[in-house]
Amino acid sequence: MSGAPNSSSDPRRPNKVARYKPPSQERLDDPTPDYMNLLGMIFSMCGLMMKMKWCAWAAVYCAFISFANSRSSEDTKQMLSSFMLSISAVVMSYLQNPQPMQPPW
Amino acid sequence: MRCAVGTAWLLVLLLLPLVSTVEPQDEFAEFEDNEFAEFEHVIEDEEEEDFLSVETEDEEEEEEAGQEEVPEQVLEADFDDGEADVQVEDDEDEFEQFDDEEFEGFDSERTGRKGRSQDPPDLKITNVPYHLRTSWENFYLEILMIGGLLAYAMNYVAGKTKNHKLASAWLTAHKDLLEANFTSVGDDGQGAEVQSGILMKESEHIYSIWCSGRVCCEGMLVEIKLLKRQDLVSVISRMMRPSSDQVTVTIDLGLSDMDSFVFAVGNKKTIGRLHKDMNDLSLFVPDKRPGEKYGLPSGMAILSESGEVTNAIIDNKMVRVLNNYADMFEFLHISDQFSGPKVKDGDPQPATKMPDTKKTIIFTFNVPGQGRSSVKDVFAMEPMMKLVFHILDKVFRFRLSKEAKTKADKMRLKVEESFLKMTHAQRQEAAQARREERRRAEKDRMMAEEDPDRQRKMEEREYRRDMKKKQPKVKQLKVKMG
Repeated sequence: MSGAPNSSSDPRRPNKVARYKPPSQERLDDPTPDYMNLLGMIFSMCGLMMKMKWCAWAAVYCAFISFANSRSSEDTKQMLSSFMLSISAVVMSYLQNPQPMQPPW
Repeated sequence: MRCAVGTAWLLVLLLLPLVSTVEPQDEFAEFEDNEFAEFEHVIEDEEEEDFLSVETEDEEEEEEAGQEEVPEQVLEADFDDGEADVQVEDDEDEFEQFDDEEFEGFDSERTGRKGRSQDPPDLKITNVPYHLRTSWENFYLEILMIGGLLAYAMNYVAGKTKNHKLASAWLTAHKDLLEANFTSVGDDGQGAEVQSGILMKESEHIYSIWCSGRVCCEGMLVEIKLLKRQDLVSVISRMMRPSSDQVTVTIDLGLSDMDSFVFAVGNKKTIGRLHKDMNDLSLFVPDKRPGEKYGLPSGMAILSESGEVTNAIIDNKMVRVLNNYADMFEFLHISDQFSGPKVKDGDPQPATKMPDTKKTIIFTFNVPGQGRSSVKDVFAMEPMMKLVFHILDKVFRFRLSKEAKTKADKMRLKVEESFLKMTHAQRQEAAQARREERRRAEKDRMMAEEDPDRQRKMEEREYRRDMKKKQPKVKQLKVKMG
């Protein structure tokens, strides 16, 4: 490379072009989507089995937060399935028990 | 829900005639005295009224009428799911005033019914079971939940768009500069041919651009790490703790593009964190120095392996840029032994050999605006990218003096040796484990061997090997005679 950084010398080198390689190591610094996914699944299971409405609603929120924070490389099928599970938990709780939710206070 | 209610009431209608025919007859038989003859008529009317009020299915009318005496027994029988709030006990308490003189030997229920017809103001309105109430006001918590979800969704869309706008603006602002320096700007690795101008979306808040085809380096990855505007939870937590969008530029250098040194400069807090976390900085740099010594603003610190490097990198241009744009500049890390952050303690697999190192230059810049960035803030970051190229060229040209070079090489050897010593025990264990595995595999093979002859032969071989191992190692000395 030329020693003097003058504007006339072109620093580009077409022969040095390298293709992009996505980093093999998954981004470990943000575990939010995975935790939220797991939490959502747990909440929907609780909501379905224990017939607790607030669990089912929390599951929907968790699924949504997980979706918002997810990386593009992640599987959309997983996201969709957790969404569906949480919505089914809400629907089932209301079918079994059509009362409105009681606030704890 | 209305169908369920309808069928329930149908059942009531069907059962009520049975009840009315069965019970009253018995009870009437008991007190056929003329005392209660007057009430017979009243009771029948009441029951008819009940039928009417029940049939309309209109709970408002029922409530207003005040005579919504749904027969308690029937109510209990049909709505036995525990939700019906039927109060038999309350009625009993209420009608104690009608004491036993009048209604000797009667059931209290009977008493209750009669008492009600006489004394309207003392009416106790039975609680209608919940699923008969269909007013929307009772579902306010559900409406709140749905409202929350809608708010989250709207914030998601708004945040996503804003982030995309900022990232595209960055690419537009710096495209000319990048294209002047790199042959390929914006390749995503997909496709047979080299692409250009692609802004890769890693997630809704992280975008990256890969540039390559320049002298002095192998390639450059620009990561635009924006704030999580698409996640309402992050937005709310950011209100407590403001932070800003960042642009991280990572340049991969070739083997001959850089001499051996480790250097970092930047924001004091960040430098302190890097000193602790990064493998190379913690191993090769003993302490940090304040930036003021070299003319930098007071909030900055320097980590350097040798003073020569510092003097070379922190030249006049760098000082000027850092003083003018102190907020935008977060840190710069140049290293020929870069291997990422230190392995955390919780990691189950301690490395048995040194982690791979590569020559890298890392810049991190803050987008001005502290979170409330706009497109023109992004355009203001151009001086930073110019600094990147200036440093890149400087690092390429810089060569350590002889003493510094030997010192650096010695340091690297020392680090390697200490690492090997530390992991010596682990490596031994690993080697032992491998040896055991091999022996076990051999033994298994031996057992599986069907031919008795072959088996014998293998056993002999094993035995001989064991003997050799047990034998003390005799050092053979060649003595030259004469």
